[in-house]
Amino acid sequence: MADGSRRTPRRFLRRVAALRDEIRESTDANLLAALRVLGLLYGPLDRRSRIDRAFQKARAYRLAPHVGWRHALGGIAYFLLMLLVGTGVLMAFYYRPSAQEAYPSVQHIVASVPFGWLIRDAHVWAASLVVILVVLHLGRTFLEATYKAPRQTNWTVGLLLLLVVLAFGASGYLLPWEQAGYWTVTEALDTVARIPVLGGIASELLRGDAVVSGATLSRFFALHVIILPWLLLGLISMHYGLVRKHGAAPLAYGTGAGREVRFYPHHLMRILGAAAVTLAVVISLVVLVPRPFGPPADPGVVPDAIPSTWVAVTPWRGLVHYIGVLGPVLLLLFGLVLLVLPLVDRGHERDLRRRPIALVLAIVAVGGLLLATVAGRFLREAPPVQTPPEVEAPATPFSGAESPAVPTAPPDTGAEGRQP
Amino acid sequence: MRIAWLLPAVGLASLGAIEAGPVAAQEPTLGIDSSYGCVVCHIDHRRAFLSGVHAERGIQCDNCHGGRPAAMTVAGAHGGRFLGRPSKRQIASLCASCHADPNQMRQFGLRSDEMAALHTSRHGQLLERGDDNAPTCTDCHEAHLIRRATDARSNTNPLNIPGLCARCHADAARMAPYGIPADQFAQFSSSAHGEALFRDRNLAAPTCVGCHGSHSALPPGVTQVTDVCGRCHALVRDAFSLGPHAEPTARGVISGCTACHSNHGTERVAPDAVAESCGHCHEPGTAAAATADTLETQVHEASHRLEEARAAMARLEAAGRPIADMEQRYRTAFTAYRQMALVQHSLETETLESLALQVISSVRTIDEAAEVAAEQRWEHQLLLIPVWFLALAVVVLARFRISESREAPPPAAGDGP
Repeated sequence: MADGSRRTPRRFLRRVAALRDEIRESTDANLLAALRVLGLLYGPLDRRSRIDRAFQKARAYRLAPHVGWRHALGGIAYFLLMLLVGTGVLMAFYYRPSAQEAYPSVQHIVASVPFGWLIRDAHVWAASLVVILVVLHLGRTFLEATYKAPRQTNWTVGLLLLLVVLAFGASGYLLPWEQAGYWTVTEALDTVARIPVLGGIASELLRGDAVVSGATLSRFFALHVIILPWLLLGLISMHYGLVRKHGAAPLAYGTGAGREVRFYPHHLMRILGAAAVTLAVVISLVVLVPRPFGPPADPGVVPDAIPSTWVAVTPWRGLVHYIGVLGPVLLLLFGLVLLVLPLVDRGHERDLRRRPIALVLAIVAVGGLLLATVAGRFLREAPPVQTPPEVEAPATPFSGAESPAVPTAPPDTGAEGRQP
Repeated sequence: MRIAWLLPAVGLASLGAIEAGPVAAQEPTLGIDSSYGCVVCHIDHRRAFLSGVHAERGIQCDNCHGGRPAAMTVAGAHGGRFLGRPSKRQIASLCASCHADPNQMRQFGLRSDEMAALHTSRHGQLLERGDDNAPTCTDCHEAHLIRRATDARSNTNPLNIPGLCARCHADAARMAPYGIPADQFAQFSSSAHGEALFRDRNLAAPTCVGCHGSHSALPPGVTQVTDVCGRCHALVRDAFSLGPHAEPTARGVISGCTACHSNHGTERVAPDAVAESCGHCHEPGTAAAATADTLETQVHEASHRLEEARAAMARLEAAGRPIADMEQRYRTAFTAYRQMALVQHSLETETLESLALQVISSVRTIDEAAEVAAEQRWEHQLLLIPVWFLALAVVVLARFRISESREAPPPAAGDGP
């Protein structure tokens, strides 16, 4: 007994020493040590899948000398997306996608589940930040004209990713089943329905009912947690694969001479630091500006005001309120212009000073976005757009000249909303 | 084939429907036919009269105006016992010829004492004196277009009554000879009664006639005010009658309810203005003033606690906390507070104190929940310290790692692209 108990700690210490030697002998103690300690890299898995070699290849990867902080935008967006996936999965443990249970289940998450408030609000804030980051990333790509050959495909993939991110937010906006989200979605679907040709079918498919109801909630939930995540995964894999294949684009002007930058540790550490700061910013926003909890959705009550809790809703409301169905049509056209950009703009010139058309396009886009956002801010307290009743109300017996001022009830028709 | 055969039939049917529309919308012709001479000239009165209730009962122009409707000339039609435009006193008698007869009014469920009531009213007295400003029946009910009071277009519909009285009573020049102010309508409109009527469309709210009577319109006397208000505010009246102010009111020394709440404006005494209101009559330093201070302290404290609880519930709700339990407690507290509003009219400070304690104990759990939430919020903010410490630590480590790697010589041939 005594021998055995003395031998056990000795054996344990021997194992620790062996592990330490393994880590020392490994290709890179800092990067791979953790995986080795967990047994993921050393052993059968490593030998059979050659994962160690893949890592070695990755850490030897070189980036162009000019790669800097502005190239971290995509990485931060990726980090935010992963944060959204993580918090989303945690919320899915408690969330119930039905018209009856959605609102109380979110209440439960926020009020009763340990750290539910943090997880939920981090999801909300990250959803806004990721849109900003993705748009900034797109802006950098556009201004530096890195969508030109040979990276046209990745530009398209990136645009599709932006679309997926927007679709994520739009479908998630309904899930808490609050008045604000309900009427924003109603307004949006009514607006989409008025887009010629495909708008009616699209809104019917999304709504699945005569009004936004439990059927719509199920559809939005399926989109949000099943369809879009797989799309996102596939598109991100393609995006990174193509970045890896073509490398970062050379500088638009200037020589960009200098020593190549190692992906690890330089760029990875840069992104890691940025991600840590991003996470701290998200948590700070959650703590200091918690998302207000609105009243539950009620199809019978059109609210006086619908506040926006997602960054993309603000410019969208501005567009829809001031130019109606033209807003979504303009957005679609703008998206199409961006999509065909690499096909049209085939010159090799990448210096912005020699691309006047691109510059004008960028200024118009940024100006339009700012204008729509400002307009949306003014509408913050505005009720949803009311769909004009299709059938004229019959003349009432009180319509005579002597009738006193009897308040007329608002037409009991669905309001229309907007939302990307 | 069969469908093609049906089409003309459907077309004809829809044509018929279109034809039927205007016919159905035409005004009723009952009571007066084309041989009735008056309407040849007085076409405007015909339209108004036919929309009113009297045309439904076969009453015709000559029933009030006399004359000969079947005559073919103006002179002939205006001959006989033609009355023309009756005077104000004649109008009252004309209406009373039917409306004071219980046998005629019974079938319609109408009263028959309006004329008697009018004689008791200030309006009736002035009418007797031949005052041109005094209203007669048609000034309120219209002469020809008389509608039921339930009709929203009627002058005598509750929603329209204040405006009807204001036609004369808001006219300062017209009221001056009688020494009556002309601001009653303005005061009423912004009063609790006016808001209930105009804003909430609450037809149970009193209009002018609710307190003054309609045909028997007179201001209530000083000793009658409590009874007038007490017809609706019965519990307040009961509490008031138990208090020390009931006796002087009965003697006519103070004017009952309107001593603290004005008559048309019906101002509420704010919880923090109770002592000030009492101070209008009671000198500071007296026992009554001390009671007033106690009252104000109790009522103000309770209302303040209720407001705080309401605000705390709004904050908790916005933070996603379920507040159904708290609303139940709030309602309990609010019920006790409403009882305080009643009991304070009796000046029973002991009952008030126990009710104030009920309010405070009911909202205590709401306060506690709000305190816990505020503490949690503070704890969440403390969380930011380790979060930012860790984030900045990662940044420093990353920078350190980068600079360390820059100083090191570039590694031997890597297998990058």
